[in-house]
Amino acid sequence: MPEIEIGGIKKVALDEDGYLLRYEDWDEDVARALAKREGLKGLTTDMLDMLRFMRSYYEKYRFFPIIRAVCKNVHKPKDCITESFIDPVISWKVAGLPNLGEEMDILEFGPPD
Amino acid sequence: MAKEMKPNEIIGSIDYNPPKTDWMSTPVQIKPGMFCWGAKAKSINTVGFPNARDWNPGEEDWKLPENWQGTVLEGIADRLKKYRSFRLFMDICVRCGACADKCHFYIGSGDPKNMPVLRAELMRSVYRRYFTTPGKMLGKLAGARDLDINVLKEWWYYFFQCTECRRCSVFCPYGIDTAEITIMGRELMNLLGLNIEWTMGPVAACYMKGNHLGLEPHTITSNIEFMLDDIETITGIKVNPSFNRKGAEILFVTPSGDLFADPGTYTCMGYLMLFHELGLDYTWSTYASEGGNFGFFTSNEMAKRLNSKIYAEAKRLGVKYIIGGECGHMWRVLNQYMDTWNGPADFLEVPKSPITGTVFENTKSTKMVHIVEFTADLIKNGKLKLDPSRNDHLKVTFHDSCNTARGMGFFEEPRFVAKAVCNNFYEMPEDTIREKTFCCGSGSGLNAGEDMDLRMRGGLPRANAVKFVRDKYGVNMLANICAIDRAALTTSMNYWVPGVGVTGVHELVANALVMKGEKPRTTDLRGEPLPNAGGESDV
Repeated sequence: MPEIEIGGIKKVALDEDGYLLRYEDWDEDVARALAKREGLKGLTTDMLDMLRFMRSYYEKYRFFPIIRAVCKNVHKPKDCITESFIDPVISWKVAGLPNLGEEMDILEFGPPD
Repeated sequence: MAKEMKPNEIIGSIDYNPPKTDWMSTPVQIKPGMFCWGAKAKSINTVGFPNARDWNPGEEDWKLPENWQGTVLEGIADRLKKYRSFRLFMDICVRCGACADKCHFYIGSGDPKNMPVLRAELMRSVYRRYFTTPGKMLGKLAGARDLDINVLKEWWYYFFQCTECRRCSVFCPYGIDTAEITIMGRELMNLLGLNIEWTMGPVAACYMKGNHLGLEPHTITSNIEFMLDDIETITGIKVNPSFNRKGAEILFVTPSGDLFADPGTYTCMGYLMLFHELGLDYTWSTYASEGGNFGFFTSNEMAKRLNSKIYAEAKRLGVKYIIGGECGHMWRVLNQYMDTWNGPADFLEVPKSPITGTVFENTKSTKMVHIVEFTADLIKNGKLKLDPSRNDHLKVTFHDSCNTARGMGFFEEPRFVAKAVCNNFYEMPEDTIREKTFCCGSGSGLNAGEDMDLRMRGGLPRANAVKFVRDKYGVNMLANICAIDRAALTTSMNYWVPGVGVTGVHELVANALVMKGEKPRTTDLRGEPLPNAGGESDV
């Protein structure tokens, strides 16, 4: 299983697709390390706001948020997720949200109907 | 896979020369990008279907049950008895070839086994071998062959390379419904646990939670609340829909995709705005929260089970009738199957528009009316105040969804509505619309991520027609009345015809709808500035 090292001390476990294994391991430093692993240049405060909103949404609804709802909630234009993270799946990963297997395709390619 | 393959590479790879070997002697090759992942044990177990296990179609061992041949042959025998159409379609094809080049998958792949005649022949050859005297006696001479593991894999591969769109049937001089052959093929696969996860996942979710996405009631209401918030931002009007309300006159059911992803959410905002403006006495349901029916891509029995909650909920809430949202296969199920599966719905009344008084006689047996028909009637009777210039930034064409077009003959109503709310409307070429419409390429539960090569190939003919009107008239918006279309065509347009967006018809309606007490609109439903709004910027 892959791991990421935070500040040279803490080690955080990921699954084979790069998703955080333990939801509660997430914090800002972990997010930065995940972002780096996903090839992002860094995380702005706006991006962190988006991630925090996605986590709070998940805690309550156990599902992917409407992407532009994330943006509206952090007062950004409706394509803020793809502008910042390229792919919504990357934002999901960096937010430390769980790997939902085949269901992840819903986030990337849209709903079944 | 198409993810890596560029459009011109796909086009360059299409070869219409058939292999040198005879089709029966050309073994199937299961190619990555052309198939969907096998259904997971968890999903199959949820609905109690046979042979639940995790399996990978790309591997040699499909973990089939013992005596699987016996199961399939028994399955065929049962269905030949049960469905006269099946026996007829097995017997009557004269292989004239009229259907051969009508399939979007054949056009986009050049694989002769995607010719509808040959796809059906994959099954007919086995039917002949076990169920007809010439086939039993003469074998290959009579076009018959044994059912072995390679034949089974070939069935699976090609019955999941058909979207059951029925374009080929339009050209068949015998009227053979090739979709029904695929439907039977998939039923037989289902007996062996050879489902695909992209349909079984949603089927299991729908069975447990009422919709394909598995949205729970509080998620549904929260998503709709988000849309209401957007509506208020754009129009200044607070819309207050109700959920699970007993005693409402009308139950509204739509595909769950409308509740979650763009551009479906804009269509959903369209429904909400229209119903609010009419003051319609209607309710949403968080139980019957799925109009679509992926059970239909699995087996008749599963489709019936999933469908049953619509009437059950209508009865529980005591509504008079049901309105259904914009969806394709949903309407094939509702229009052709629902009343005989789960009806008669004699506790409901024949739908009658409370605004115009029109009685929708055509829905007498199902008691469920299509929203576009409902809206077309409103417009025809002059009941909506419309400002089509609010759609002037759009040059619109209309994609007929296979199931509403060929399954219901629903050609005029969506065009009537679209033309009433848009000033710029252009048709695609005649052979690609109405009953001859080309599939989006991803219908019947094939709109997954892993089969993107297949989807983009299948989407090519439709995309090509869109490209024609984009280049000729500057079309920049592809309207449709199907949730699968809204998701699938978005991907396909980005790939083949960049610059063309995708919209539901009711998004266009809501853009044009002048609502009582609304503030001057500066943007459309997507937050894009309106053409005549004096250059005001995004909200």
